[in-house]
Amino acid sequence: MSNVHSSQLVFFAAHAPFDRMEPAHLLWMIERMQLGYYAKGEVVVSPEQGVAQRFLVIKQGMVQGEQNVADASDADTWLELSVGECFPLGALLAHRPVASVYRSVVDTFCYELPLTAFHELLGLSAPFRDFCTRRIANLLEHSKQVIQAQYTQSSSEQQSLTSPLSTLIRRAPVTCSPQTSVREVLERMHELRVGSMVAVDEDGRPLGILTLPDVLERIALPQIDLDQPVISIMTAQPTSLPPQAMAYEAALSMAKQGFRHVLVVENEKLVGLVTEKDLFALQRVGLRQIGQAIRHAADISALQHSAADIRRMAHNMMAQGVSTEQLTQFISTFNDLLCARVVELEYSASQLGQLTPHLCWMALGSEGRFEQTLSTDQDNALIFTLPEGMTAAGMREILLPVARRINEKLALCGFPLCKGNVMASNPQWCLSLDEWKRTFSNWISNGTPEALLHSSIFFDFRAVYGTEALADELRLWLARVASENTRFLHQMAENAMAMRPPLGMMRDFVVGKENTLDLKLNGITPFVDAARIFSLAAGVTHTSTIERLRGSAAKLKIHASEVDAWIDALLFIQVLRMRHHDEGKAKGLSDEDLDNKIDPEQLHELDRRILKEAFRQARKLQARLAQEYHL
Amino acid sequence: MRNWLKRYLGKRVELNDQQALSLAAWHKLSAVATSQSCKASRYVVVDVETSGLNLWEDRLLSIGAIAVVNGKISLGESFYVELQQPVVSNKENILLHGISGGAQTSGVPAADALLAFLDFLQKAPLIAFHVTFDQTMIQRAISQALGTSFKHVWLDLAYLMPALNPELASKYRSLDDWVTHFKIRNDARHNALADAMVTAQLFQVGCAQAGKKNIKNFAGLLDLEKAQRWVNSVS
Repeated sequence: MSNVHSSQLVFFAAHAPFDRMEPAHLLWMIERMQLGYYAKGEVVVSPEQGVAQRFLVIKQGMVQGEQNVADASDADTWLELSVGECFPLGALLAHRPVASVYRSVVDTFCYELPLTAFHELLGLSAPFRDFCTRRIANLLEHSKQVIQAQYTQSSSEQQSLTSPLSTLIRRAPVTCSPQTSVREVLERMHELRVGSMVAVDEDGRPLGILTLPDVLERIALPQIDLDQPVISIMTAQPTSLPPQAMAYEAALSMAKQGFRHVLVVENEKLVGLVTEKDLFALQRVGLRQIGQAIRHAADISALQHSAADIRRMAHNMMAQGVSTEQLTQFISTFNDLLCARVVELEYSASQLGQLTPHLCWMALGSEGRFEQTLSTDQDNALIFTLPEGMTAAGMREILLPVARRINEKLALCGFPLCKGNVMASNPQWCLSLDEWKRTFSNWISNGTPEALLHSSIFFDFRAVYGTEALADELRLWLARVASENTRFLHQMAENAMAMRPPLGMMRDFVVGKENTLDLKLNGITPFVDAARIFSLAAGVTHTSTIERLRGSAAKLKIHASEVDAWIDALLFIQVLRMRHHDEGKAKGLSDEDLDNKIDPEQLHELDRRILKEAFRQARKLQARLAQEYHL
Repeated sequence: MRNWLKRYLGKRVELNDQQALSLAAWHKLSAVATSQSCKASRYVVVDVETSGLNLWEDRLLSIGAIAVVNGKISLGESFYVELQQPVVSNKENILLHGISGGAQTSGVPAADALLAFLDFLQKAPLIAFHVTFDQTMIQRAISQALGTSFKHVWLDLAYLMPALNPELASKYRSLDDWVTHFKIRNDARHNALADAMVTAQLFQVGCAQAGKKNIKNFAGLLDLEKAQRWVNSVS
């Protein structure tokens, strides 16, 4: 009597993972389910009931898992579950009792599946099994598809930059032996109408590449002997990627290195060639062109143009479902290029000349952590060493006006001036290497609120342009000094605990007066702060939050799966934030008007759930921090 | 009226062997003791769809029923049947219930449909909202199609819920009122099964409320209902 369940099906069709299950499996499940009622305050599941016996899905109402402080690492602690959510997955999978008492917060109806049927269903339905075993990862995947669907309208004419290179190879590569004469190679290229020739050894391993633009530069202009072996004028060790690599990776490596070709190599053997033209079909603006344009930009208006291209490209990549980690990598790569070019142009316009090797321009804060979104305030600083006979004050006198102009030009390119004046044009943040060490030392030994605040911005520094060795030296020095100072780390941890993820008691989220959440302050900051402390304690020198978490995990004996869940959560909040900015841009907001405030009610149901889960992960991370520092 | 009298009096019911056996088997089942705890009993919540609201003229179109076992609704144990109709009900009614003329003539023959219902019901007490309507419609249909009288224990939530929530009693009349108050969602109103489902959920709420007043068996619930009938008749 499948007719029976039509109204129940409506419910399940609206919630993950049921919406992805085969109808037959869904019916199988529903037929074995019961609907239970729990009046407000009633216990739904508790540790005293022994091994968990029912898989529950909330049809209506809300259930809260009461925190069990003694066992803060347990996956079931601190939960507030609402309509469509399933529990207690961990306990059911592990055949153990739940770790906390689940109580209905309001009058609640739950669908309930007996334990045996739950396990049988795990075997029957792959989407269900996936969901139960990789809850966060799965929701994220799902969300990505929803995002893609939302964006298809704006990018339907574009093929995916996430398609593997193997699908882009149009024909077998044209090759020659390395000893073939230049003349013969040119004749064959002309005959076959190809723009490049790859020299391979007997086993098909690529040795070098010659492309048409090289002909002018390396053959025609220098008028070389056409009978010499071609390998002598080829680009040796050209960039190669495996066939499974994504199109955007090829585009990114072309952009970084300025090449127009990427070899596709499998088991060391050349299997194809992907050219910029192949990728060009996938995008309106080529990544390499953006890179080239930035590198060769002569003035600020050209750079402003590139800044706009970066944004457009980021939008397209978001539309194509490129993951956040890759997207931020993309944005950071190009923003770094852009920033470096602005600094370079200004240095030369200011005729700094022989002073240049004494300088290192640094990115701080989110830029330092590679976490830039489409709109990030600039946070920067300068490190310098003193040339013979110069004082620090004398250096500042020269550098501050230059830095001021750089800050203003960056603002023109879409990086708003820092409201807190954390910029290289501020005399406080234009210091010699020794001055920086003294400043950092003071912060570490004082531990005042101001010092802690500064640490959270400045300790995420990294070099963007100039003599990187200066930043490296400061980094190594800091890693040593900070890891030895446990009192300071303890204070930082205490400070980090002050920013609690906004999970509500009665509603899903605690929101401010305007019914909004601040994704940066409430969502990202807990991860960033904790990662910074872990990395300082473990002596990890990375500045990216993700690398910091990964790098510190082993030293602090944190399980890899736990770290992965934190990273997934962070990335999800990051993607929401970027989408929010992207939508703001689409609405015509200026950079200064973009904010990080979202109304959770406006989110897609799935996103709202993942966001909750992500905040839960933030709480777990904080619990870990508290445990580490006995807070 | 004459038409109906002729239908009611004029025709003797004839059951085939299998139908007769099935009916006899149901009669033999022993009734459920009303002193049994609500948490350890089986109840059946029922809702019917008819060709109209006239208890004597209109016909039974479908029955939806849900079992509440040991306090929980068993989704697998639900029952729905559409009865075969001699005449297609008027168009307006079709629009309300969504049972098309085709389904009305193509449904299950009345005797088989009702026997299937009895088989599902067994002797479990019946629960409905505004019992009189469902009870009369089912009794009449059983009497016509099976030639037997259907005497059964019924509990009426239209009295039980006001008894448990006196402060709401004056405001709330319909099933929709109560369902809305307890925020119970109905995705498909006016389908007998979907309505039985929300009625069953309302019954669960009622049982929990009664439990807090230390009323834990069916007899206790019937007493509450009776008391409320009296309140209604004097006020």
